[in-house]
Amino acid sequence: MEINVGRFVFKEVSPRRYVASVALSELREAVGAVVMEDSYFSALTAVDLPKDGKIELDYVFWSIKHRVALIIKVTVDRNNAVVPTVIDIVPGALGGELEAYDLMGVTFEGNNRLRRGFLAPEDMVEKGIYPLRKDSGV
Amino acid sequence: MVVVEIPIGPQHPALHEPIMLKVRAEGEEVVEVSVNTGYNHRGVEKLLEKNSWVRGMYIADRVCGICNAVHMQTYVQGVEKLMDIEPPPRANYIRTLVMELERIHSHMLVVAVMAEVIGFDTLFMMIMRDRERVMYLKELVTGNRVHADIHMLGGVKRDIDEAKRDKILKELGVIEERIKHYKKVFETDYTIVKRLSEAGIIKRSEALRLSIVGPTLRASGIKSDVRSDDPYAAYPEVPFNVISRDEGDSWARMMVRLEEALESVNMVRYIVEKIPQGPAIPKAIPRAAKPGEVISRVEAPRGELLYHIISIGGANPYRVKIRTPSFLNILNTEKVYIGHRLADVPVIFVSYDPCISCTERVVVIDEKNGKKTYMSMRDLAKVRVE
Repeated sequence: MEINVGRFVFKEVSPRRYVASVALSELREAVGAVVMEDSYFSALTAVDLPKDGKIELDYVFWSIKHRVALIIKVTVDRNNAVVPTVIDIVPGALGGELEAYDLMGVTFEGNNRLRRGFLAPEDMVEKGIYPLRKDSGV
Repeated sequence: MVVVEIPIGPQHPALHEPIMLKVRAEGEEVVEVSVNTGYNHRGVEKLLEKNSWVRGMYIADRVCGICNAVHMQTYVQGVEKLMDIEPPPRANYIRTLVMELERIHSHMLVVAVMAEVIGFDTLFMMIMRDRERVMYLKELVTGNRVHADIHMLGGVKRDIDEAKRDKILKELGVIEERIKHYKKVFETDYTIVKRLSEAGIIKRSEALRLSIVGPTLRASGIKSDVRSDDPYAAYPEVPFNVISRDEGDSWARMMVRLEEALESVNMVRYIVEKIPQGPAIPKAIPRAAKPGEVISRVEAPRGELLYHIISIGGANPYRVKIRTPSFLNILNTEKVYIGHRLADVPVIFVSYDPCISCTERVVVIDEKNGKKTYMSMRDLAKVRVE
């Protein structure tokens, strides 16, 4: 089963879960297209993949129209984790971006509310540690 | 006019998690609200990575004191998918029973807190007294009054018998009658209706953009409920109505919860009467999961609870992302307060059913002379009246 959202094709990976892997340059367009499907932003999962030198970001939306979860996957370079923000398209993504920045060290370009210590404790902020990275020593 | 910044929080011993609302007000009118977090990050996601699949159940259960069974359900149903386990139908019914009891007492709690915030202390105490009956039922079924701990990979830890069924049915009669009474109070009391109506309106069109969930979303006219849209446990078999209202204000959010609590009473009744026979307690505990990832969703009392669990095989999860409903509901509604009176802030804030601990202590700083005044949230709520 597939769902077409804009020019993106979401493939079913399990019941009511549809995934599309997109390039970083297409992220904002994909999020814009998903929001048009009566979707709310549900979660942003950042996964550290040190073996590949990448960080995977999964933007999870729930579509009221289709009654499925639409998941956009992008990967960024682990050493230069910079991603365009989507909070101007879907303000609900604010918490997800703040959290991914604070705990995983992903910078969201255009989001001026990013700050260390949003969730992470002071000692980690002082040491410059991103606790959810696999090599953080936490 | 002078803009006064009022930090609400960050901690109060009566509630659960510390957070701070920085409210800037021009006279009585709120002009800006920003949410401050990070006072007590427990690192639960990291802790889950470091522990085995089975230990993870107990960590997930302790994310929240009020809605712990739903956390365990979300974690367990996700891990069960990764382990290819299908819990027996009787276990699913018992899990659903506990989760619905939890919804009743959670909704009663926030209705009670709302009563207290608007100055109805007797009503607060009466609702809390009646809520104790639900806590008793939770203890009867699970053995624990607060942390249910009923789930186990592949089933539940305790079964119910006919004696328990009869006790549940007897208590439910009283609980239903009391909730109906409180619903009538919230519907007909002139002061309550006036105080809550039109406070913190979230329009239908805004609700999706702001990505709010649960009763807060349904009070804005959107019928979205994980139990019906993405059913799990015994929900495909248990009949219930998804409650929604169109007003989108604090009053509507309270009414949605009261009506949902009544639905839950009927669901609990259905479950104990129609529970299928068969085993419910697993004989062995599985230890390893296959590689893969699963997005597990559950309708917690406060809205959609999501666990994104990633496995690369082995005894521990590789990554567990937890997104609680309050995370969306509190952070994304900062703008809703703008334009309201200062005294409406506690009302609007409580109407989201926030799972945090900051709603009572307030410091008022007069920027002109730097004078600090300590006020309780209730005193603040009274300012408008005086």
